Amino acid sequence: MTTPVLEIRNLHARIEEREILKGVNLIIPPGEVHAIMGRNGSGKSTLSYVLAGKEDYEITEGEVLLNGENILEMEPDERAAAGLFLAFQYPIEIPGVATMTFLKAALNAQRKARGEAELSTPDFMRAVKEAGAQLNIDNDMLKRPLNVGFSGGEKKRAEIMQMALLKPSLAVLDETDSGLDIDALQVVSKGVNALRDGQRSMLVITHYQRLLNHIVPDVVHVFSDGRIVESGDKDLALKLEAQGYASYGGEAA
Amino acid sequence: MRANFPVRLGPAEDALIAQLKAAGADSTAERITVAGLPTRRVESYHYTDLKTLLRAIPPVANAANEASAPALRIPGAFNLMIANGAIQNAATAPAGVIVGKADGGVLTTRDDVLVHINGALAKEALTLTLENSVDPVIQVERRIEGEAAHVADALKVFVADDASATIVETFSGSDAAHVGNHATYLSVGRNAVVTHITIDLSARAVSHFATNEYQLADGARLRTLVIHAGAGLARTHVFPRMAGAGAHADLTGLNLVADGQHADITMETLHAVPHTSSQPLFKSIVRGRAKAIVQGKLVVARDAQKTDAKFMHQGLMLSDEAEILSKPELEIYADDVVCGHGSTCGMIDEDSLFYLMSRGIPKSEAETMLVRGFIAELFDPIDDEELNEALQTIVDSWLMVGK
Ligand SMILES: Nc1ncnc2c1ncn2[C@@H]1O[C@H](COP(=O)(O)OP(=O)(O)O)[C@@H](O)[C@H]1O
Ligand SMILES: [Mg+2]
Repeated sequence: MTTPVLEIRNLHARIEEREILKGVNLIIPPGEVHAIMGRNGSGKSTLSYVLAGKEDYEITEGEVLLNGENILEMEPDERAAAGLFLAFQYPIEIPGVATMTFLKAALNAQRKARGEAELSTPDFMRAVKEAGAQLNIDNDMLKRPLNVGFSGGEKKRAEIMQMALLKPSLAVLDETDSGLDIDALQVVSKGVNALRDGQRSMLVITHYQRLLNHIVPDVVHVFSDGRIVESGDKDLALKLEAQGYASYGGEAA
Repeated sequence: MRANFPVRLGPAEDALIAQLKAAGADSTAERITVAGLPTRRVESYHYTDLKTLLRAIPPVANAANEASAPALRIPGAFNLMIANGAIQNAATAPAGVIVGKADGGVLTTRDDVLVHINGALAKEALTLTLENSVDPVIQVERRIEGEAAHVADALKVFVADDASATIVETFSGSDAAHVGNHATYLSVGRNAVVTHITIDLSARAVSHFATNEYQLADGARLRTLVIHAGAGLARTHVFPRMAGAGAHADLTGLNLVADGQHADITMETLHAVPHTSSQPLFKSIVRGRAKAIVQGKLVVARDAQKTDAKFMHQGLMLSDEAEILSKPELEIYADDVVCGHGSTCGMIDEDSLFYLMSRGIPKSEAETMLVRGFIAELFDPIDDEELNEALQTIVDSWLMVGK
């Protein structure tokens, strides 16, 4: 059997004495797109942060393997270099840090960590231009400080552009559809679909079925109260859309 | 309340009094004999208690002839030097720049001990008259070389109407426990545009004092930037006088302090006439057990209507033991003005750090990016690329030492 890109085994995590993840199990083979759907507050973003290595959480049990390698002891930057990318639900604005400076630092840091040579400035510019064009990101946006003054849609497009540039083996997209109008949703989905290459895997977290019409998943998981409670094919998303999350128990958000 | 018994003088004060008397500055000597160096009880020295912080005053400097390389290399700059208080010969000045000498004592008298001492001890002043716009950066190196010395020096600059110029002063020298007391008087003519940057790069053992006084005529535009990145004890005074309608000043500064250091920027801006504006923006970055202070006083004269001024101090603490202190003061005698002040203080933002790291950027590099980002507002307006680059290297090497 080929090594899964992501394997989560019985993952428990807490924040400030409160258990949020209560035994998550998930396997994503290479090239597959899995969706996680669940009501607000069920712990979806927590899962994405724990995968990316945010410090605030205490992992009390379980394992996370990325391409067969346990990543829970790694720093966030090491996880990124190992192939993980998280598209944030709420991308952070960083005044004073130029977008281009940031992109170059990120790309070269990852290359360095993997023992690859740094990109030359012309090669870097070309890569950014290419990634940006697909997502309607113009020079003007790239000249601004990182995410500062970007609209909600611009932020999401910028996240996907970063993903296109960094070429992760696993992309976790946390509510990338939220706050997008239908045009923006199409641009973003097109950008995401262009990165499906039969090898790269994705975990698409969403609240609404709508996104999954554009990014069609191989597997849909229902997330409730800190764990996956049901899995199925893409039709499960339609069922959820029709019936809501009520039948899965847990408190209403 | 004034004590009715004489203050006890320490060795620093004794030495200072002797030096002042030898220079014939009896009234300044007398003041210090009566009151001593200012303590925390003197309001403007509340956070910088000179009596406690200044333990010794070394002997008055002997003249030095220094030809060492500039402390900060700014490619293409026109360089001048004052070493141990003495003005050194300079290369041929760019067109429109007249370099000369005058007697010391360039500052307007005010009730401040450091100003008094400079006036009493600075023997000569370097004078610069800029008759028209000057392209190259003018760099004035002020050095204290050799054995520990007490140095008072002075610079007086006149910028003609409609001219523009960028003047950078750097303070450096040998590693000994010098006390430097530096004065700069800068007069900005009508509609002239001037950038004035003073950078302390002296050794840790040094006590660095500087007073920058400015006079702005109608429509003058001034940008100032004070950087404290060297001395163990540093205090820079920024004293602009907004004396012409339409004058505007961006008054900025940066304290970079680490373990054991104490840096103080004290600004007092006088809006003397109607329709002037100032934007004081100061930042302090503190690492280890160290102290950064910014005092900002806005004085608006009685008929200085339509004054627009807002003082801001932002602190970034890189350690828990760091102390960042702000003292804003408003003294407003006009009624139709917009004046304000604010200050913020915080640590590196964890969410920002996580975001950068999640993209593969290692922690220390991410921190450096965030610190640079914090300072960007101060450096971005410096258009001269070589100069901007040189300023970045100061911050980068400061950060490097801490890693
Ligand atoms: N920093 C935090 N401190 C305490 N509780 C938190 C924190 N972050 C999230 N939570 C709680 O964890 C639960 C899951 O949140 P989250 O993972 O954001 O859910 P979702 O993304 O599914 O909406 C919520 O009840 C939320 O209130
Ligand atoms: Mg969420």
